Amino acid sequence: MSDSVPMNAKLRQAMLLAPALIFLAVFFVMPLFDNSMRSFMSEDGGFTLSRYTSFLTDRFYLGVIVETVVLAAAVTVISVVIAYPVAYVLVRKAGRLSGVFIFLLIAPLLTSIIMRTFGWQVLFARRGLVNQWLVTDLGILDVPLRWLNTPGLAIAALVHVLVPFAVLSIASVLQGVDRRLEEGALMLGASKLRTFFEVTLPLTMDGIGTGAILVFMIANGSFVTLVLLGGGFQTLPLLIYQQFNTTRDFALASTMSTILLAIALVCLWLQLRLVRRQGA
Amino acid sequence: MNAPSTLTLSSVRKKFGALTAVDDLDLTIEPGALVSLLGPSGCGKTTTLRMVAGFETPDSGRIEIGGKDVTRQAPNKRGLGMVFQSYSLFPHRTVAENVAFGPRMAGASKQEQTEKMRKMLDMVHLNGREDMYPSQLSGGQQQRVALARALIVSPQVLLLDEPLGALDKSLRESMQFEIREMQQRLEITTLLVTHDQQEAMSMSDQIAVMQGGRILQLGAPHEIYDRPETSFVATFLGASNLFQGRVGADGRTLATAVGNLPLPRAADAGTEAVLSVRPERVVLGAEAGTLPQGLSGRVVTSSFRGSYAAYRVALDGTEMEITAYRQADAALGQGGLAIGDKVPLGWPIEGSVIVTDPATGEE
Repeated sequence: MSDSVPMNAKLRQAMLLAPALIFLAVFFVMPLFDNSMRSFMSEDGGFTLSRYTSFLTDRFYLGVIVETVVLAAAVTVISVVIAYPVAYVLVRKAGRLSGVFIFLLIAPLLTSIIMRTFGWQVLFARRGLVNQWLVTDLGILDVPLRWLNTPGLAIAALVHVLVPFAVLSIASVLQGVDRRLEEGALMLGASKLRTFFEVTLPLTMDGIGTGAILVFMIANGSFVTLVLLGGGFQTLPLLIYQQFNTTRDFALASTMSTILLAIALVCLWLQLRLVRRQGA
Repeated sequence: MNAPSTLTLSSVRKKFGALTAVDDLDLTIEPGALVSLLGPSGCGKTTTLRMVAGFETPDSGRIEIGGKDVTRQAPNKRGLGMVFQSYSLFPHRTVAENVAFGPRMAGASKQEQTEKMRKMLDMVHLNGREDMYPSQLSGGQQQRVALARALIVSPQVLLLDEPLGALDKSLRESMQFEIREMQQRLEITTLLVTHDQQEAMSMSDQIAVMQGGRILQLGAPHEIYDRPETSFVATFLGASNLFQGRVGADGRTLATAVGNLPLPRAADAGTEAVLSVRPERVVLGAEAGTLPQGLSGRVVTSSFRGSYAAYRVALDGTEMEITAYRQADAALGQGGLAIGDKVPLGWPIEGSVIVTDPATGEE
């Protein structure tokens, strides 16, 4: 049989993938599926959408969804604004130091997010390092400031975690921008600033888009930072945690998880579209 | 259009680390003239162009456009137009937006932008493609858009950086004529950078042959071709047969490995010299009998090249091979040469030139 060889090759490839696929199926897909199913199951075991209709018509829960999305959007905007100049310097100015730059960017990701968040707690606790500087060492303030449980600190910590993702997305696209295009604009009388807004920025929109979606997705599902640093936010992940651990309303928690998952899937779809357009 | 401007480079020097890219270069382009910088890669031609454009700043020396010192002026203030090798059209903008970019940056009204843009697209025969994106155009069309985009600002000087490098051969030749015709009609002072000798010869008023950051020779194309001053110029611009030797006591002959060759002009007796003979000046066969060199050889290879045939001939009694071109009808008709044929050969004395070998610095 002439095509037995490619069939065997395919089979072998499938076998190589099998361990990973089985692992993902058992520990990722099945629980996720089981969890989602629970949200569609009525008390008597039948199918129902009643949880979704009541959830999505409840002002409180809608407010939570809006707050989750707004928080993620704010973190995204701040992250991208901070990331762009960093990416620009990394690609255009760092030269031989770019390797060091990238290491500095990625190094924080090697530490678990819980450790990094604890770091923020240590720094900004009532008797933490920052207050000690301000009150004791520098004497700027008479009484320590309350940082923990303020929205600003929570947002700052999220941005801190997520900026590298935005930087790397933007940098990879910026790397591919032909500098002759910028020189062309300069030759035609555009100032450097004008050149940036007419040429560089539009050509890096894909990188901004990819980075923004990535940051948004992660911020949307962020949990640890908000639990540890507070900030008074009432977001979906926090609510899900409460439902599972305090209220023990598993079905409602599953409903919210599925909604959160849906938001993430929409983002993922947008990102795939963006990437496919780049490739075309 | 502006009145054509003079471009002057005086003692311009540029180093990158230890490498001297451009070394004490002087060049003047008269108003409305097209001068080519021709040389192999790394000869400093592109660096020179980039200094005129303002993308690099010379370490020393002056660059003047229209009598005004622009050495340290920002690129966007110099009033230049430039066509890049890869065209550098803005991929996210339409043809119309690309061409109208210059006037828009200059603050022209929408109406003025459109008018100028249409006029330019008309000139490069691209009307009707306003709303297309560069990626939808062929290489030749992109190149025309790039030209229109550069010319719309009525530049004082037009810079062409290997503008035809990305096109295939037949298109390249027709674009050469087209650009040259446009440049002459608009009387626009132009600096062309190229490594293609044929492009330089067919487009330029003057060619500056560059090597090692210096201009080796500057002159009209036919001058440089007919009277190369160095062996580098002789071989870089067209092909050349070079004969190295020592000038005889009478100062009129050169003692070489292939025998005594008559010189086209007197040289200092006893010095080293190189004689350059263009392949099309070499005469093969019976007609060579009357020529003074009295050489003969055996045909080693022959290749038909359309309008002419090229032969390699091994000279009798030596290791040396020389290249000779013959018109195609002679090559194909009676007297056509086959490999292995024994032929007398020579060249008219005025068809040879004494050149310097920069390696020895001697004539």
